[in-house]
Amino acid sequence: MGAVEARASPRATRRPAVWIGALAVASLALPALVTTPFGMDVCVRVLLFAFIGVAWNLMGGYAKQLSLGHAAYFGLGAYTSTILLIRFGISPWIGLVAGGIVAMLASLPIGWLCFRLRGPYFAIATIATAQVLMLLFLKFRGFAWGAEGTTIPFLGNAPLMMQFSGKAPYYYIALALLALGLLTTYLIERSWMGYYLVAVGEDEDAAQAIGVNAPRIKRDIYLISAFLTALAGTFYVQYIYFIDPNTAFSFNVSVEAALVSIVGGIGTLWGPVLGTALLEPLSAFLQSWLGSSHAGVQLTVYALILMAVILWRPTGLMGLVSDAIRILRRG
Amino acid sequence: MGDVLVVRNLSKRFGGLRAVSELSFAVREGETLALIGPNGAGKTTSFNLITGYHRPDAGSVTAFGREIVGLRPHHICALGVARTFQVARPFGNMTVLANVMTGAFLRDRRVDAARRRAHEALEYVGLAPKEQALARDLTTIDQRRLEMARALVTEPRLLMLDEVMAGLNPTEVDQAVALVGQLAERGLTIVIVEHVMRAIMAVARRIIVLDHGQKIAEGAPRDVVADPDVVRAYLGSGYVHGC
Repeated sequence: MGAVEARASPRATRRPAVWIGALAVASLALPALVTTPFGMDVCVRVLLFAFIGVAWNLMGGYAKQLSLGHAAYFGLGAYTSTILLIRFGISPWIGLVAGGIVAMLASLPIGWLCFRLRGPYFAIATIATAQVLMLLFLKFRGFAWGAEGTTIPFLGNAPLMMQFSGKAPYYYIALALLALGLLTTYLIERSWMGYYLVAVGEDEDAAQAIGVNAPRIKRDIYLISAFLTALAGTFYVQYIYFIDPNTAFSFNVSVEAALVSIVGGIGTLWGPVLGTALLEPLSAFLQSWLGSSHAGVQLTVYALILMAVILWRPTGLMGLVSDAIRILRRG
Repeated sequence: MGDVLVVRNLSKRFGGLRAVSELSFAVREGETLALIGPNGAGKTTSFNLITGYHRPDAGSVTAFGREIVGLRPHHICALGVARTFQVARPFGNMTVLANVMTGAFLRDRRVDAARRRAHEALEYVGLAPKEQALARDLTTIDQRRLEMARALVTEPRLLMLDEVMAGLNPTEVDQAVALVGQLAERGLTIVIVEHVMRAIMAVARRIIVLDHGQKIAEGAPRDVVADPDVVRAYLGSGYVHGC
């Protein structure tokens, strides 16, 4: 949406290059400035969830296919790489890509089923798919460790096995993933595919009338979105050294992916990043401050923020930013 | 001159309602054919059946000699049948230009080419000055123009217009008539559903009248409006005896 509007003025494409350069330098230098492990952990989580948000936004934002089941792909990515690592000794770097491919394959039947439904019915169906996968993995006791889960064997500093002694390398991997997600989005947004996605999101029937193969474009974007989400799953397991069905297929992952995009600005390149930059530190802060005495307080705050955004600013923080720029230019 | 579109025994029921029954007609290449009839006569349903939005219960539709029943709307569009909707359906949050570019990608996936062709289509329908506006901000006539531009940019050989003049004031109707006339002069085959009789008389070479899902008359505009069956369908039987 915002994307297709923004393209209207060619001037707007020049200046962001400077901003992106500055942002890149700042994010590359950040590990040198953040000294506490807690601070680094928050940074890694911001990047990771921004990346998941970006992956979700391709489908949920541009094409308005509001999935609440992206945990399915997060979990498949996590389990694929972990099973390859522990059962076959294969490096998570290979598991990363393998997980992405497994997620893509899984998205085909899931999409085939869910895309028959529209709007809230679609969202509910996607929740079910993630839940079904979670139940399946709870049952796979012999092969996938069932409900107990498993820890990732600690190898010390082993970059080839995606294990590092400090937090900085994880930070850079998450940053690279986010950059990959943003680049993918940028390229799609600028191509015919971006127009097709937004058109399908706006009015699927009208889009079909002018030759848009809506089922195919939805399938294709679901493949891409699932692939990227699975990468996040692999990374997350390697980062926390633990996997079980409840973590891997957590409903929270699905919700967070949608939430950061909606709060930040649905269907915009930077929306999910902005949304995560606001919500993730807030959640970490609330949890460490009130989490022990008032459990669940951060969920309440999330709910309030979400309601405020939907009521007053459906275009999210990005809408706020673009409004501000418009006012500044006029004034 | 061959037949661009041939409809044979097309039927569709919605529950107990026979929306279209045993409808047959043909559209010749280069002609402008109007489909008229009272509300609920089955005009829009026929459009939806032909363009793949509803699946007929029976009957066949061939476009350019090819059976198109069962094809999806985007496929039918790719074959060269473009349509507009009774209620304009712009992509509201996209710019006018982006709306039309989306249609242009059907024939050429390059963004520059799409932008150029979209711009040309917008010039043609007279909407170029507003190409940077958001589609949802357009007036009714401009939304109709946008629908036309979006349909035209897909390079149709058959254009199906569903009440493009509904809700327009008399001046705007004249503009729309002129536009349809121009398209017909370029040799485009057009099927138009319309209520505005003045517009139909101006653009149509041939008229088909539907009532209760059935064809009740067909012929040149002047003959059709004088047909007692047609008058009865529109005004009730009392008027026929009067004249």
